[in-house]
Amino acid sequence: MAKTKWIAGLICAALLAGGAHAQTPDAAALDRMSAAELLPHALKEGKVTVYAFTSRIAQIEKAFEAAYPGIDVVPLDISSTQMIARLKAEAQAGIVNADVAYVSDAPVVLNELLPRGTLIRYVPPDIAARVPAAFASPLLANRLSTKVVMYNEEANPNGAPIANLWDLTKPEWKGKVVMVDPSLRGDYLDFMTEIVLRAPEMEKAYAAAFGKPWVKGKNANAGEDWIAALYANQPVLVRNTDAVNDAVGKKGQARPPVGITTYSDRRDNAKENRALQVANAIEPSPGILFPAYLALAKGTRNPAASRLLIRFMMGDDTPAGGPGFAPFYVAGDYATRTDIEQPKDAIGLDAFRAWRMDPVKSAKIRADVADFILSLK
Amino acid sequence: MSSVAIAASFRRAASPSSALAVGLVLVAVLGVLIVAPLATIALQTVDDGKGFSVWQQVFAGRIAQNVLWTPLLNTVVIGVVAALASVAIGGVLAWLVVLTDLPFRRAVAVASALPFMIPSFAAAFAWGAVFRNEKVGGEVGLLTELGMAVPDWLSWGMVPTLIVLAAHYYSLAFLLIAAALASVNADLIEAAEMTGAPPGRVFLAVTLPVVAPAILSALSLAFAGAVSNFAAPAILGLPAGLQTLSTRLYGAISTGQSERGYVLAIVLVLIAGIILWSANRVLAGRRSFATISGKGGRKRRFALGRLRWPAFAAAGFVLFATTLAPIAVLVLSSLTLRSGDMGAGLTLHFWIGAADPAIAQGQAGILRNAETIRAVLLTFAFAACVAVLSMGLGLAIAYAVSRLKRHAIGGLLNQFAFLPALVPGIAFGAAYIALFGAPIGPFPALYGTFALLVIAGTAYTLPFTVQAGRGAMEQVADEIEDSARMTGASFPRRLFAIFLPLTIRSLLAGGVLTFVKIVRDLSLVLLLFTPTTPVLSVLAYRYASEGFPQMGNAITVLITLVAVVSTLLAQHLQGKAEPWLDEDGR
Repeated sequence: MAKTKWIAGLICAALLAGGAHAQTPDAAALDRMSAAELLPHALKEGKVTVYAFTSRIAQIEKAFEAAYPGIDVVPLDISSTQMIARLKAEAQAGIVNADVAYVSDAPVVLNELLPRGTLIRYVPPDIAARVPAAFASPLLANRLSTKVVMYNEEANPNGAPIANLWDLTKPEWKGKVVMVDPSLRGDYLDFMTEIVLRAPEMEKAYAAAFGKPWVKGKNANAGEDWIAALYANQPVLVRNTDAVNDAVGKKGQARPPVGITTYSDRRDNAKENRALQVANAIEPSPGILFPAYLALAKGTRNPAASRLLIRFMMGDDTPAGGPGFAPFYVAGDYATRTDIEQPKDAIGLDAFRAWRMDPVKSAKIRADVADFILSLK
Repeated sequence: MSSVAIAASFRRAASPSSALAVGLVLVAVLGVLIVAPLATIALQTVDDGKGFSVWQQVFAGRIAQNVLWTPLLNTVVIGVVAALASVAIGGVLAWLVVLTDLPFRRAVAVASALPFMIPSFAAAFAWGAVFRNEKVGGEVGLLTELGMAVPDWLSWGMVPTLIVLAAHYYSLAFLLIAAALASVNADLIEAAEMTGAPPGRVFLAVTLPVVAPAILSALSLAFAGAVSNFAAPAILGLPAGLQTLSTRLYGAISTGQSERGYVLAIVLVLIAGIILWSANRVLAGRRSFATISGKGGRKRRFALGRLRWPAFAAAGFVLFATTLAPIAVLVLSSLTLRSGDMGAGLTLHFWIGAADPAIAQGQAGILRNAETIRAVLLTFAFAACVAVLSMGLGLAIAYAVSRLKRHAIGGLLNQFAFLPALVPGIAFGAAYIALFGAPIGPFPALYGTFALLVIAGTAYTLPFTVQAGRGAMEQVADEIEDSARMTGASFPRRLFAIFLPLTIRSLLAGGVLTFVKIVRDLSLVLLLFTPTTPVLSVLAYRYASEGFPQMGNAITVLITLVAVVSTLLAQHLQGKAEPWLDEDGR
C-alpha cells in the first residue's frame, strides 16, 4: 500500500515536471521573444537576481519593479573582481544564485567565464541591429565605462594641472595621486595593464615629459617603469572610487590631489559638492574605456525574467533610453546603442582620448602585471 | 525507532565496549568536520600538477615580500604588542580588584569583563568614527569634523589597530588573572610577611608563581586572537596600506587567487597554533604547582592609601573608553546624516527610514530593509542552530573522552576537538570553502547553504563547548551516578533524572555563550558569506567599507546589544558571581 502511494506520487511529480516543462519555452525560443512575449513567463517566475558591479543597480531595481510589477529584482552590488571569484565558486559548487551578471573586467570575463559557459550571451532580438557588432559579441555591452585621470576643476579653473601621465611620477605629485588598489579592483588593474600594453606610447610621452629619451632599466618596458615610478611616488590607495572622488573632487580644497576614477562620477558633482573633471588632454591618454557586459548566468532558474531585465537595461525607444537606461544616461558613460543620443556636456566619444582596451591582449599579461604591482609597494 | 530501541542503544553506549564505538563515531565526525577541511587547503596548494610552485611564489617569488614577509612581520608585531598590552592592562585591573581596597570594586569587575563581549569590529568602527582623518577620503571622523588635525598615525595603521585589539583582549586577560589571583593563599602571604619578607619579595615568591600560568595563558590566547583578527587591521590598517596575514588572505581569496590565500592560511595556522600549543605544554607541566594552594583565610587587602581614588579614576577611564564610549559613538554615528558631522542634523533614517534616493543610494534603514531583516533572522537562526548542535556534540565528546580516558581513541578525540582552537577563524572559513566548495562524490556542494554555515560554526566552537560539557559533567558527582547505575537506572533515566536537572543551567549558559560567539564573529563567516546566506557581521563590514558607515554602525550596535544581553543572561544562568569578590561578604 505504502509502495503504491510512493509510485503514484512519483508519477504525479513526473507529470507536474512534464507539464511545467511544456509551459516554459526553451532557451532558443526565449532568445527570439520580444519583451511583451517574455513578460507572461517572467511574471510566472516572479523574481530575478542580478549581480552588478555598480551601486546604480538599486535605481534599476526600482525602475524595473515599477515597470513590471510582480517581478522582484534582487540586486547584489559587488565589485567585478569579487563577482567573478563568486561566479566561479558557485559554478564549481554547481549552485545557481545569480540570473543576470552586470560585469566589467572584460579580460577575465571573456577568457575565463565565457569559455566555461558560466556566463551566456544574450542579445534581445530588437537590439541586435542597434548595437555595433563589437559590443554585441562575444557578449552584449550596454555601455562603455571609464577609468581615467581626473582633477579638481574648482582649484584648477584653467584646466588640468597635469599634461602628461609621467607628471604623476614627479616630486610635486608625491602623495598626491589617489586611486583604488589594483590588486583589489579589476578595472584599476586593467588600467595598469593597458599602460604596459601601450609601452611605446609611454616611451614617447616620457621624452615629452622629461626632455630626454626613455632608457630601459631593470623593468621590461616604459609601461612597467611608469607603474614603478608611480608607486615610488607614494600614491594614496583607497577602498573605492567614491573615496577617490571625495579626495580629488571635494570643493574648497587649496591643493587637491588628482586621481584615477570613473568619468561618469561627474554626475554627482552638484549633489556631493564636488568639482571633478577629466584630464582629457593628458599625454599619451587619460586612461581606458571598457565595456560593461550584461549576460545570463548559466542555469538561471528565471530565464524569462532575466532576459526581460537585460532588455530593460538596454533602454527603451526614446532618445535617452527611458527608465531602464536612465542611471547610465549621464555624461561620461557611453551607450553602445547607436540610436541613443549622447548626453549633453560630455566629451563626445570621438573626441575622448581614453584607450579602448583589448580584452584578449590584456588577458595575456594581466596576471603578470598584477604580480608586478604586488612586488612594488 | 521505538523508545525501547533508543533506550537499548543508550544502554549499549554506556557499556565500555560501546563507549569505544561511540568514540569511533565521534572521531569520524570530527575527521569530516575538522581534519578534512584543514587537509584540503594543504592539498589544494599543491595538486593539479602545481607542485610547490605556489609555495615558491609566496615564499620566494617577486611578490613574496609584500604578500608574505611584510604582512607576517606586521602580524607578529601586532600579536606580541597586543598580547603584552592586554596582559599589562588586564593584570593591573585584576590586581586592583582582587588584592586592593579600590572603591567600587564590584562595578569595576563587572565592567572589566564587558569589552570581550563587544565584537572587535565594533571598537574598530567606533575608532574610525572618532579619529578618521581625510587621508583616504570618504567620510571623516568626529575630531576632523570639529576642525582638529588628527595625525595619520592616530587615524590609520599600526597604532589604532593595536589600541583596538588591546582594548578587546585585556578583558580576557583580566578574567584569567583575576581568577588566579583570587586563589592566592592568604595564609602563605601572611606567613611570608610575618617572617619579614618585603612586599616585593612576597609578590615574586608567593603571588607570581600562582598567577604565572594565568599570565602565560592570557598572553598566548591574546596573541593567537590578535594575529588572526581580521576586523581591526582591515578597518583601520588596510586603508593606510598596513597588511597582515589575515587581510592578505582575504584579499587573495576574494580576488580569485585561492591557492595563494590557502598558503597564507596555513602560515597563519602554524603561527597561532605553535604559540597556543607550546603555552599549553608549559602549563600542563606546571599545573600541579599552581594548585597546591589550600583554603586560605580571609584576604587582607593592600591599602592603596592616597592612590585609592587616582587608581579608581584610571581604571574608570580605561573601562569607560572600552565599553560605554565605543557603543555611544556607534549609536551617535548611526544617527548622523553625514557620518561624524553632528552639524548636519540627526536622523533615524539609517534605522527606520524608508528608501530615499538622496540618502545612501536609496537604501532603506536597517529595520525596514528586507535585506537586513533577512540577515537578522538568518544570523540568529544560524547562531541558535550552532549553539544547540555544538553544545550537544561537545557534551557527547566530553562524555566519550571521560569514558575512554585511558584509551587511544579518547586521546585522539580530545586532540581533534581542540584543533579548531589553534585555527584562526578566517583560515577555518577558507578551509571550509576549499572542502565544501565543490560536490564530493554523491554529496552536493554546500557552498552558499545555511547548512555549511552551521557545520562550520559547530566545528569552530567545539573547543569551547567540549570544555563547557566537561565542566557540566564535573558538577555531577561520580557517586550519584554510580549509585543510580547500581540500583539499575537505565542511561536515559540517569540522563533525565540526574544529569540534566543538575547541569541544565550550565549547559544553557554554555549554549548562550556559543550563540554569542557566533553572532559577534566576523572572521569565520567572512569567506562563507554569500547573497543567499547574509550574516549580519559581514553585512556591517560591507556597508562600512562601501561608504555607508551609518548603516554598518547601526547593525554593529544591534549585534553588540544582543551579545552583551545574552552574555549577562549566561552569567545569570551560571549563577556564578566573581569568586574574588564573594569573600568580602559585601
